[in-house]
Amino acid sequence: MGEIWRGFVEACRLIARFDPYVVKITLFTLYVCSLATVAGMVTGIPLGTWLALHRFRGRRFLVTLVNAGMGLPPVVVGLFVYLLLKRRGPLGFLNWLYTPKAIVLAEVVLAMPLIAGITMAALQNADPRLRLQARSLGAGELGSALTLLRENRLSLLAAVIAGFGGVISEVGAAMMVGGNLLLNGEPYTRTLTTATVLEVSQGDSVRAIALGVILLGITLVLVWVMTLIQQGGWLARQVRGVLAPLSGRRGEAAR
Amino acid sequence: MRALLSVEGLRRDYQGRCVLRIDGFHLEEGKVTALVGPNGAGKSTFLRLLSLLEAPSEGEIVFWDGSRLSSLGRRERRRISQQIAMIFQDPLLFRRSVAENLAYGLRVRRMSRTERRARVEEMLRRLGLEGLAARDARTLSGGEAQKVALGRAMILRPRLLLLDEPLSNLDLPSRRELLGLISSLVREEEVTALFVSHDYHEVLEIADRLAVLIDGELLQEGEPGEVFARPASEKVAAFLGSENLLEGVVERRTEEVAFIRVGESGLTAVCDFPVGSRVKVLVHPEEVVLVPRGEEAGSARNRLPARVLEVRDAGNLVRVRLDCGFPLVAYVTRASREDMGISPGSRFTVAVKATALHVMPFTRRAAGMGLSEGGVE
Repeated sequence: MGEIWRGFVEACRLIARFDPYVVKITLFTLYVCSLATVAGMVTGIPLGTWLALHRFRGRRFLVTLVNAGMGLPPVVVGLFVYLLLKRRGPLGFLNWLYTPKAIVLAEVVLAMPLIAGITMAALQNADPRLRLQARSLGAGELGSALTLLRENRLSLLAAVIAGFGGVISEVGAAMMVGGNLLLNGEPYTRTLTTATVLEVSQGDSVRAIALGVILLGITLVLVWVMTLIQQGGWLARQVRGVLAPLSGRRGEAAR
Repeated sequence: MRALLSVEGLRRDYQGRCVLRIDGFHLEEGKVTALVGPNGAGKSTFLRLLSLLEAPSEGEIVFWDGSRLSSLGRRERRRISQQIAMIFQDPLLFRRSVAENLAYGLRVRRMSRTERRARVEEMLRRLGLEGLAARDARTLSGGEAQKVALGRAMILRPRLLLLDEPLSNLDLPSRRELLGLISSLVREEEVTALFVSHDYHEVLEIADRLAVLIDGELLQEGEPGEVFARPASEKVAAFLGSENLLEGVVERRTEEVAFIRVGESGLTAVCDFPVGSRVKVLVHPEEVVLVPRGEEAGSARNRLPARVLEVRDAGNLVRVRLDCGFPLVAYVTRASREDMGISPGSRFTVAVKATALHVMPFTRRAAGMGLSEGGVE
């Protein structure tokens, strides 16, 4: 118990004095995970929407792939990306292995099926007449699909939370394709999870606990913020206020 | 009469089963046509075909500008469909404010923000919802929500408004209010409307034309009064709730009239059926006159002795069930019941004019009323 407490105190100390090592790892983790989540959204939301709204030959196979992808073990994804990127692999010429790009790629493979799968499930559960209604008011294929997505934005946010949660918490893939490296004494491909594993393997439980607490803290804060946006309230109104002029809806929304 | 839209040989199959087959139909411009039929008759399918939300298995739709469905390119299709608006049984409002819901179709059409705002404000005023612009549309009551759905369609100033049972989920006061609103908006904007309902009572008030769709077939179309007075078939009569649909055989005839044996008695009617034909005779209850026995029964050709079997209140009128050799129903006012002493067992003379009877061919299965189960709506 004392060890855990010491770890917690150490975490507070590291955070309070902005320990450069911890700050770097934390920023790097956030950078990699955000990039992977955004890339997962950009690919996963259209894929999930397409699978939910269209019937075509081979759809069932793709749906099975996406569903299987939602439960992919990160280590297997890491291995797969490693085999792709290693010097003699099909994408070896990119020289991405043991770079941040490799980690992002692996994490996109993890996040994309999660986001696509939840998007697909949400849209399939949505009232199909809403899309019909949008089309009967003049919206085209794309416009009506976007309307349906907007109607299901709570589920989409859940998909994004799941995708982000999936990538920030995994260690196997990041370790395998990133290598948990320091470059010139500075963290290069070291994330909070891989660093924690390293500290434990070196017998420094206190520092490992400190990193774990920071990771947990970041996850909780980000998920809390997203939940606030999802469930409405003050923050959601602020976000809408910021976004309204971008989408040109202030005219109707403000009154 | 000018047709806004015509249908030729339209057919829609689902999984190999034909659910809609309409040989010919013209939608009159500027008129409200009510399309009625039991559940599962194919009414909603017909609307989806007309609104281009679904493609027919066969057949053609000719639009106001002469363009034909079969030869519409993608862009023309969009142009046509943007002039058709549809509202459904449920309001299906979007998860946004009332004003944003109203503006949806205008934004799709890339209308400028100033014009959009002006139109939304005008529509809110016409709907009587001025105070609710910023309200989340999903927090509205059923009646208000359906008003917004109507406004969202009418704000587009469509050529054709399709209404798919928009009243059926509302309580009676909201129903009346919405019907009044639909009527005024449609007339003011001179929009052609096709109003689908399984309950003809609710649409008669605003319908200029009445079309009856049963079992996927358009059985009759015409002025509502004419359809009620002279249903084209027994199925139509039964759907329209016609009482006194009697089975008989033409026993003898002159050039103009036929004597039709019904039960132990008979009726004289104006019709063309030859002797020996099995027919159905529709006697409209409001055409049945009760006369005290021994009194003059006017010029009516049919004068039959009758015994009252049952007397029941039916709203403002009284429903009298009679036996005059066959069962017959008549409606009288409360005052007549008192004055004439109409009660079970009392005897009268029933008078019905030969011209008031409507004779139809006999069909074995009565009235497609049992088709609601498993039908595709």
